[in-house]
This record gives sequence, C-alpha cells and structure tokens, in this order.
Amino acid sequence: MAQFLVEGRELVAEAARGLSALALQPGDAAAMEACFRALHTLKGSTGLFDLEAMGRLLHAAEDRLTAIRDGAAGDLDALVAMLDQVDRWLDSLERHGRLPADATAIGQALAGHIREEAPTEAPPAGAAWTIPAEFAGLAGTALRYVPREDCFYLGDDPIAIASAIPRLTALRVSLRAPWDPSEPYDPFTCNLVVEAVSAAPRAEVEAGFRLVADQVQFADLVVPKAVDREAVAPEEVAPGDVTPGEVAPEQGGGARRSLRVDAARLDRLAALADDLVIAKAGLAGLAAQVEALPGGHALGQALRARQARLDRLAGDLHATIGRVRLVPLAPLFARFPRLVRDIAGSLSKIAALEVVGGEVEVDKAVVDALADPLLHVLRNALDHGIEDPARRRRAGKPEAGQIRLAARVDGDQVVIEVTDDGAGIDPVTIRDLALQRGLLAPEEAARLDDAAAIDLIFAPGFSTAASVTTLSGRGVGMDVVRSAAAGLGGKVAVTSTPGQGTQVQFRLPLAMALVRILVVACGTETYGLPLDAVVETARLTPDRVVPIRSGRAFQLRDQVLPLVRLADLVGAGGAAAAGQGERVVIATVRGQQVGFAVDAFVDRMDAALRPMGGLLAQAPGLMGTTLLADGGVLMVLDLAELVA
Amino acid sequence: MTVRLDDTVIRLEGACHLEDADALTILLQTGEARPVDLSACEALHAAVVQALLALKPSLTGLPPSPFLRDLLLPALAVERQARPSNL
Repeated sequence: MAQFLVEGRELVAEAARGLSALALQPGDAAAMEACFRALHTLKGSTGLFDLEAMGRLLHAAEDRLTAIRDGAAGDLDALVAMLDQVDRWLDSLERHGRLPADATAIGQALAGHIREEAPTEAPPAGAAWTIPAEFAGLAGTALRYVPREDCFYLGDDPIAIASAIPRLTALRVSLRAPWDPSEPYDPFTCNLVVEAVSAAPRAEVEAGFRLVADQVQFADLVVPKAVDREAVAPEEVAPGDVTPGEVAPEQGGGARRSLRVDAARLDRLAALADDLVIAKAGLAGLAAQVEALPGGHALGQALRARQARLDRLAGDLHATIGRVRLVPLAPLFARFPRLVRDIAGSLSKIAALEVVGGEVEVDKAVVDALADPLLHVLRNALDHGIEDPARRRRAGKPEAGQIRLAARVDGDQVVIEVTDDGAGIDPVTIRDLALQRGLLAPEEAARLDDAAAIDLIFAPGFSTAASVTTLSGRGVGMDVVRSAAAGLGGKVAVTSTPGQGTQVQFRLPLAMALVRILVVACGTETYGLPLDAVVETARLTPDRVVPIRSGRAFQLRDQVLPLVRLADLVGAGGAAAAGQGERVVIATVRGQQVGFAVDAFVDRMDAALRPMGGLLAQAPGLMGTTLLADGGVLMVLDLAELVA
Repeated sequence: MTVRLDDTVIRLEGACHLEDADALTILLQTGEARPVDLSACEALHAAVVQALLALKPSLTGLPPSPFLRDLLLPALAVERQARPSNL
C-alpha cells in the first residue's frame, strides 16, 4: 500500500502535467498519451487494493480522455476536478488507510459530471478515423478493423481475415494501445488495429468482414487531387517519417531504468560514506608520525601518497552518494496546485498557483522536510496575503490572486520562493501586535526598521491572524517554518510591499556536501573554520601588531587588517601567548579581510558537516559539527556570524 | 514445431497458430534479445503478429507467402518504428 501511495502520487502528478500540457496545446499527442497511460496504470493499481470508487472514477476519466483524443471537443476542467479528488483520496488513504465513507457517492457524482460533458452523439473510436499517410494516393476501399479484445477466444484471426481481403493493396497493422513494459504481456488479449486498402469494390470487401461487421469501418478512397494531398500530408506524414533512433526511447525500449530504494538504506549508505571520510582523515596523522620516525621518511611518503588516493576516492564516493540522494522537487510541488485550489475555495477566494523549477534537484532530506513548511507558507499567502475578490477589485487587481512557487539553484544552495500579489504585510500592524503580545518592549519596537518588524512574523508565539481561522491559525506559526529551515542548514526570510504582495524566500543547501575545513586550536579547544573563507595563514611577530583604540591590527603586505582573538570570540579564554609569534588565519568576512589569532594550526580536513540540531540550532556563530577521526566532535564556526 | 529456438535465433516455421503466441512471448521475454527468422513461415496468427509488434524483436528472413512478404512484413517494419496511429 505504501508503494501504491508513492506511485499514486506520481501518477496523479504525471496525469496533471499531461492535462496542463493539453490545456495549452490541445493536440499534443505525447501529453495525451502520458496522461492516458498514467490514468490507466493508476486504474490498474486500484484493482489491487479494492478501491472501487477510485477505479470507477478513473475509468470514467479514461473514457472521457479517449473521446477527447478521438476528436471530441470538451474542456478539461472535469478531469482536473477528478484528479484533485483522486489526490484527496490518496490523502485519506495515507492518513486512515481507506477511502472516506462518502467516496462512492462523490465518485459517482464526479464520474457523472465527466460523462455529461462528453457529447452524447460521439461514437467511441468513430468518425475520428484518419486515413494513414501510407494510404495517400491509393484508390479503392479503405477499412479500419479494430477487433474485440476477446476475439482470439472467439476463434477470430484478424490477420487471416485481412489476408483474405480481395485485391489488397496496402496494409497497416498497429497496436491499439502501446504495451506498457511494466505489465506482463498478455499474448491472448487482442490489441490490434488493422487498416487496409483494397482495390476491389466496397461490397466485395465488406463481404469478407460480415462476421465482424461491428468492428470495422469502411471508407471509399478517391485519388485526391495534388493540392489536397499536400494539405493532408504534413500532419499525417510526421509519425511515419520519424527515424527509429528518435522514437525508440519513447517507446518500450526506453523503459524507465530506475530503481526504488528504501530511503533508510540510502541514509545508511550516506552515513557510512561520511564515516569513511572521517576514518581516512586519521591516516594523515599516521603518515606524519611515520615520517618523523628515524628512517621512516620513505614509508611515510608512500603512506601519504596512498592516503591522497584514498582521499580522492572517498571524496568521489561521498559526492556520488550525495547525487543519488538528489531528487527533483516536482513531485512535492505537484501536490500544491490542488491544495491551493482547495484552500482558496474554503476561504471564498480565487487563486492560481504557478509552479516553476520543479526540475531542480535537491537532497531527499530537504524535499521531505519541506512539505509542511511550504504548505504553511502557501496557506499564509492565501489566508493573509490574497484578498477576497471584492477587495482585489477595489484595489484594481484581477480577482484571481497569483501565487508563484519558484525554485532555482544558486551556487550550492537552492532558493525556493513563494510570492503572492496580495495585500502584503504592514510593518506598523506587526509592531503593534508584537507589542500587544509582549514579544518586545516599546523601546525595542521603536528601534526596529520595517524589515526587522516584518521579520517578527517568525518570532515564536506570533500569529497575525486577527481572527483565528481554521487554516493558518492553528497554533503553528511561522516560527516553525523558520526552525524547519534552520534544521536543514538553511534560512528563511520574508520581504513585503504593502498593497503589492509578499515574498517568502527559503535558502537551503542543495546537498549535504563535504566542506574543507581548517582545524585550529584556541587554548585547549579545537575548532573548524570553513576553508573557503580562509585566504591565507600567517605568523605574526609581536612587533607587527599595533593596538588601535580598543582593538588590534596588523600589517599584511600593503594593507592593515583588524586582528581579533578567536578565543575571545568563542569565549574559550586562555591568555594570549605572549612573547612568541602569533598564528593568524586571514579570512574574508563579508567582503573584508580579518585576521583571527589562534594558538595553533592543527590540521586540514574534509568533513561532512551536520547541521546543528536541538538547542544548539539557535546558537549563533556555529555552522555545524563534524566527527573527528578519534570520535570527538568538532564545532565548525561561521566566522561571519561570530564577528557580527 | 512452429516456434523453435535455434541457437540464438527464434525460427517461426509453417503456419503459426494462436497458441504459438504464448511460446513466442516467452522466448522473446527471456534471455538476451533474439532475432526472429521468418524465412520458413507460411502463415501468422494475429496473436503472433501482435507479439512481434509489442515486443519488437528484430526480424530476419523473407517468408515465401506474397501476403506475408509484400504486405504484412513491410507493415510490421513500419509500425515497429512509428507510433500507433490515431493517438
């Protein structure tokens, strides 16, 4: 059942994608086929779990889609509503393990609605028969014979019947529905379409089909004038002219080469790779020790070379596993359009969700953890952001609110933005509310600029809803959203223009990457500094350090840089080693170079950084932790936050 | 025997009937991709034709029957490259 839920969501998303493509371009055959296949597979799975209501609804949808495919006019709204309902049922299955009690009634109503839209006079697979391109230029009687599925059991042999057609000049045999390679092939269910042209008179041809007359259509072919042929040819020639190489991947040959793996096993693999990185870090120290032994230089060098190779391999392994864990955001995003429609409906508002960047791939942990925070932000946008239609009209906006959910990659981060064109957040209101709720003192409030005031919505215990609604005001606030982002090693921020809208921006790591760190000692403690911030390291003789007011500075080549003791910043204590030279790490902090005095450089290493959890998550100046080869925990510092 | 595995080639011989579709399906779905040789084939049941269409083995050999050689085989060759009509 768990598998069905996962697949069900994917299939619903796939069908939804197909439908939206069809809405944009009604004749899109690939979209139609994808949609059809998704619905069909889903319908097949419902049979396994005794989900009759869902099966019947999907069946009706399939029929409707067939009619549209065969040329019947009709809009896709009923099908979209159908998909939404299926998705809601999947929610219910996930939560309660069964369909809601009203499923049968709702299913019937929807199925009826879907069927009603189908024009009654449209005979299935009827008038929509287009004569295949290969038959262009032929004269005589054309026929299309679609044998019944069970015809083999009835003793019919459609090929034998076709071979008996008098004066047969052209034949085309195809599969009615492409065979889905994920299903067992059933050789005894007829799935053929036979199309043929005979030079014989129609009556003569018809005679051969009298036993299967209900399954055949005839058409008289007249040699078309040259002009007509050209008019017909372009759309019909295309399918026949494609080279095999182009088509093969779309057909059965391109069966999905993917494997579903239990996420827990993947996590275990990732943890093992992390540990391998840590274990191999111990080799560097050993190599150094061996080198220091009398006569051990050559062995130490050899060991070091091996270690370098192991280093590369472990790094590769770690990166590869990181990539395995990358999954596209699309399946997560695909659920939101329906939820937005549902929520907007319950608020009597109109809103459309635009989704961009579903193809962006991020670590699975990030995707998993994002669902609730994103939903919360979307709810907020609908509840507090988008105004009701009347107010929007007065404000000169279109009645339908626009919400945009966009993801993009920015360096090693993914940026996910939820933007609405609603009323925006009024900093004055926020300040007042925060005061009322005792979140800050009046003088603090006065000092806050607008941006900082808006940021208060992330404060624990803050909820802007004047009246608690069923949606957003459930005691879970934006503070939960912020802590979720922090838990993923990311950040969330909000910007807003009153009257024009609000944007909530998440910045999250794309993957749990290896970070090169420099390990330094301050007194008895060791700390990690991210190497990408470090410009260089230096030793300072005391005479190069000059006191400037309360601080100190030193000259490095042609610049004077501020000098701070790392021990002071982290509160490690310990007196500065006087008299001897100071070791300094020169790092770039917010575009400016700063010297950090440390007691010793200990090591350089690659570390898998783990974001801070629990109480430490809020600790400023900490980027994360990593395990050392000896099992100790190393804290990795965020220099920019430390000197803030 | 109408469906016969000859080393790496599947040979269809004589008139292939409905039940041969099952044997052919099994041969085509097990082991490596095997070509199907039609040179000794006299007639093909629709179920066998359908298996050739769906499972897409490579086809070799020209059957003697004019219907198979001149009409059905070209239709199979075209169809196995193209998408089904009316989609």
